[in-house]
Amino acid sequence: MNADLLIALLAAAVVSGTPILYATLGEIITEKSGVLNLGVEGAMMTGCFCAFITAKLTGQPWLAFFAAGLAGLLAASIHGLVCLVFQGNQVVSGLALTIFGVGLANYLGTPYIGLAAPGFAPVPIPGLAEIPLLGPVLFNHDPLVYLSYLAPFGLWLFFRHSRFGLGLRAVGEFPAAALAAGLNATAYRWAGILGGGFFMGLGGAYLSLAYTHLWTNNLTAGRGWIAVALVIFAFWRPGRAVFGAYLFGGIMALQLRLQAGGANLPSSLLLMLPYALTVAVLLFSCRRRGTLGPAALGVNIEPSS
Amino acid sequence: MRLPCLRFSLSTLTALVASLFLLQPALAADSAKEKELKIGFVYVSPIGDGGWSYAHDLARQELEKMPGISTSYVEAVPEGPDSERVMLQMARKKYDLIFATSFGYMDPMLKVAGQFPDTTFMHCSGFKTATNMGNYFGRVYQARYLTGMVAGSMSKSGVIGYVASFPIPEVIRGVNAFTLGVQSVRPDASVRVVWTKTWYDPVKEKEAAKSLLDVGADVLTQHQDSPAPQEAAQEKGVYSIGYNTDMAKFAPKAHLTAATWNWVPYYEKLIAEVRGGTWTARSDWPGMAEGVVDIAPFGPMVPKEVQDKVLTKKAAIIEGKEKIFVGPIKDQGGTVRIAEGLVAPDTDLLSMNWFVQGVVGSTE
Amino acid sequence: MALLRITKRQEPSPLWRSALVFTGAVATALVLSMLLLTVRGISPLEGLSVLMTGAFGSSWALQDCLLKAIPLFLCSLGVAIAFRLQIWNIGAEGQFALGAVGATWMALSFGGAPKFVLLPLMILAACIAGGLWAMIPALFRQWLGANEIIVTLMLNYIGILFLDFLVYGVWRDSSGFPMTAAFSENAIVGKIGASSVHWGLAHCAVLGLLCRLFFRYTRLGYEIKAGGDNVQAARYSGMPYSFLVILVMVLSGALAGWAGFLEVSATVHRLQPSIMVGYGFTAIVVAWLARLNPAGIALTSFLLAGLRAGVENLQLDLQIPAAFGSILEGLILLTVLAGGFFLSYRILFKRRV
Repeated sequence: MNADLLIALLAAAVVSGTPILYATLGEIITEKSGVLNLGVEGAMMTGCFCAFITAKLTGQPWLAFFAAGLAGLLAASIHGLVCLVFQGNQVVSGLALTIFGVGLANYLGTPYIGLAAPGFAPVPIPGLAEIPLLGPVLFNHDPLVYLSYLAPFGLWLFFRHSRFGLGLRAVGEFPAAALAAGLNATAYRWAGILGGGFFMGLGGAYLSLAYTHLWTNNLTAGRGWIAVALVIFAFWRPGRAVFGAYLFGGIMALQLRLQAGGANLPSSLLLMLPYALTVAVLLFSCRRRGTLGPAALGVNIEPSS
Repeated sequence: MRLPCLRFSLSTLTALVASLFLLQPALAADSAKEKELKIGFVYVSPIGDGGWSYAHDLARQELEKMPGISTSYVEAVPEGPDSERVMLQMARKKYDLIFATSFGYMDPMLKVAGQFPDTTFMHCSGFKTATNMGNYFGRVYQARYLTGMVAGSMSKSGVIGYVASFPIPEVIRGVNAFTLGVQSVRPDASVRVVWTKTWYDPVKEKEAAKSLLDVGADVLTQHQDSPAPQEAAQEKGVYSIGYNTDMAKFAPKAHLTAATWNWVPYYEKLIAEVRGGTWTARSDWPGMAEGVVDIAPFGPMVPKEVQDKVLTKKAAIIEGKEKIFVGPIKDQGGTVRIAEGLVAPDTDLLSMNWFVQGVVGSTE
Repeated sequence: MALLRITKRQEPSPLWRSALVFTGAVATALVLSMLLLTVRGISPLEGLSVLMTGAFGSSWALQDCLLKAIPLFLCSLGVAIAFRLQIWNIGAEGQFALGAVGATWMALSFGGAPKFVLLPLMILAACIAGGLWAMIPALFRQWLGANEIIVTLMLNYIGILFLDFLVYGVWRDSSGFPMTAAFSENAIVGKIGASSVHWGLAHCAVLGLLCRLFFRYTRLGYEIKAGGDNVQAARYSGMPYSFLVILVMVLSGALAGWAGFLEVSATVHRLQPSIMVGYGFTAIVVAWLARLNPAGIALTSFLLAGLRAGVENLQLDLQIPAAFGSILEGLILLTVLAGGFFLSYRILFKRRV
């Protein structure tokens, strides 16, 4: 493989990884508060459609991006309603949200299949884009990619150094203790679900605003599930999520380039690579110690009278 | 017992005869009024896809405008048992003519056709028939060959990228015809194939197009329903060739031409036969001569001499003077698959599952 | 001022209350989704009537429902076994694919064998293939602590692609299309009398009954149930917990594999990628709606199969997109899940003086 090909592959990895990165960060926020949301795919897809339709109607990509976040937040609020208010099982509620969210986006989106909407185009960052290797790989993309470089750092600061972030983590670890300390555990969990949903929506928006400008059903194509897996791989740390998302994006880009490069392998086997990698990555991360998720993950806080 | 009907007076009789004559034109008009025909379409993908199902649905919308015809469709029907149930429902609802436009509908349709002898069934892209079931397809490979000539003439690097959907005979045949077209003007060129295993997924298809651009392709074509490969070509500043419909509006600077479908003339002919009672079950494979396939208008960047060459070839194909799969044709491994001087029979073309020499890629 | 007081119910809810809450939840979901029809300018009542006639409005509609309910029932019975132990098997879809592959392997290799040999062989191969495929995530879970939700989900994609790999490759029919040759007559499970329903229905009845007996009368069944209620208790009881996890997953996969066998043998008569229509995913919805109880699963698979058929009728008559079915499924699951609250908790209104 020559240098040009490698650079193209790495640049493609960043672009493919970006929607997954946003979604993974969203799921990290939610899980830190002790709520497991398997509805990432549903929230992403809702955001994806909302971004497309907003861009189509208003012609404002940034507005569309923000609207997608809100749509993801609304979708996630269904999960909050079922799990936090009605004490439903978090696993099943998340699955239901995925089925519902994907269905809703496809239902509303059917009349728009094949239509295009305005979106983002690559904007090289002057100066930085000329750096050899790093320039074309990192700084020759659309604004949403650049924004995704800042998000993990912001989240890291939030979890480490803000009162609210610390409270969120406390609720995810020991809700009873947090309650005893006077924190409103349910409110924190709501914040985790809604904030997470916002990021999932942004991940979906990337697909319909930047990756392509065309609408079709099932644009997210399972990326939400990959995000759930990457949270475990990332040990619930935003920084490692970046690495995981790009690794996954890289494999997706690689399998197509193997075909284009003339690797005479059955396409079905090459298409398996990203999924096999996810399993491998999961096994690899499970072998380490001290990398368990929040202690109260998936356990509802029972209402006390 | 007296029969009341015999109590006719002469005057009533004359009145009756006179009124019969008066009624004559009305009766004639009545029989001329064509039989009400209910037509159902079963599509494999959503119709909005701008591609395969969309091309069929454009024709359906045209048919809907004809007097005495009502149409309906079910989209995104999975091949297999679900499609059988959809066709059963249509037949039970007294549809007269049912079109199913994906290969996987063949066996289910055959089963349903056996149960509803009064309904006419038409299956697209298969090979089985029954007394009330025919099949049809279009020789789009003729148009593929012509677009291949354009691609070969416009490529500088000699590497041409083909974003392909599923490794099935229809797509493989298209890749082969395209490659033969490329080689007719540029014998040393290679065609690189990437399978996406999707019909319409702009994200994946664009990424596949980019991967072909990364390995040096400077003309792209596609057997996909989304115009994403066209977008990718335009962004990179290279050329592209569309499929299904004229895709120039998605990439005006890149789009050279496209292999296109137009089902209207074929469907109209078929409906006339079904109405007239002259339809018999058979396999139809219309091509450029019947107006079912064509190439889209050339982009301004295609030089005049290339256009002329392609149009001359097109005329020869329409007249039947030129065939596409004429031996000797070798496969990727160098084995002669179609011997010198032979024209591949349709049955071989319909089950084609090998690539001609010059294609880089796997057929699985 | 009214004050809500929420207390946990100590006694299990009586049947009438469960039925009331379930009906209320489904009705809420139906009303919400029918309102979505107005987005497309269709009257909700008309939509509902088209949906219901398509699903249950005629004898052939009912037969279609039964046909579709068969794979749903088996997959759902399978995932329910795993759910009992709180093992989240989301992989029925992949196990279904592998089952179909296993059965096809036998049908293609021993096509000439007599029916009474070939069919049991196909069932055995399907169950082993599905069971082993389900065992992978169980082993990963117990050895390495890998989350079974993710692993089963990824194995779905891989299993379906493996099926693709075979039909696009070594098993490709001479027609050149991605499907195997048609099965011989001996590899086909026939229809019941003159109906369109095949004998797989009888398989379902037997397997459903066995499942119920297993949980009711065997020690192993009891331990699985107890283990699901309290993981700690299970760890100290007779059977090692890991053994239980692997057992439920294998049983779960074997049942999904059996469904895959019926799909190729009784419905399609060959293996082709289009047999994958998401029964494995809907099965999860079914299992949960039925509260993991075999009789309930039978009823719910029938209802959800009807829903699918009804949505096709909506498409045919009113041109409603196919995705409407997912909305309906998702909403029903969400409302039933939320409705469960009223079964486990008592809500009292108090007046503050």
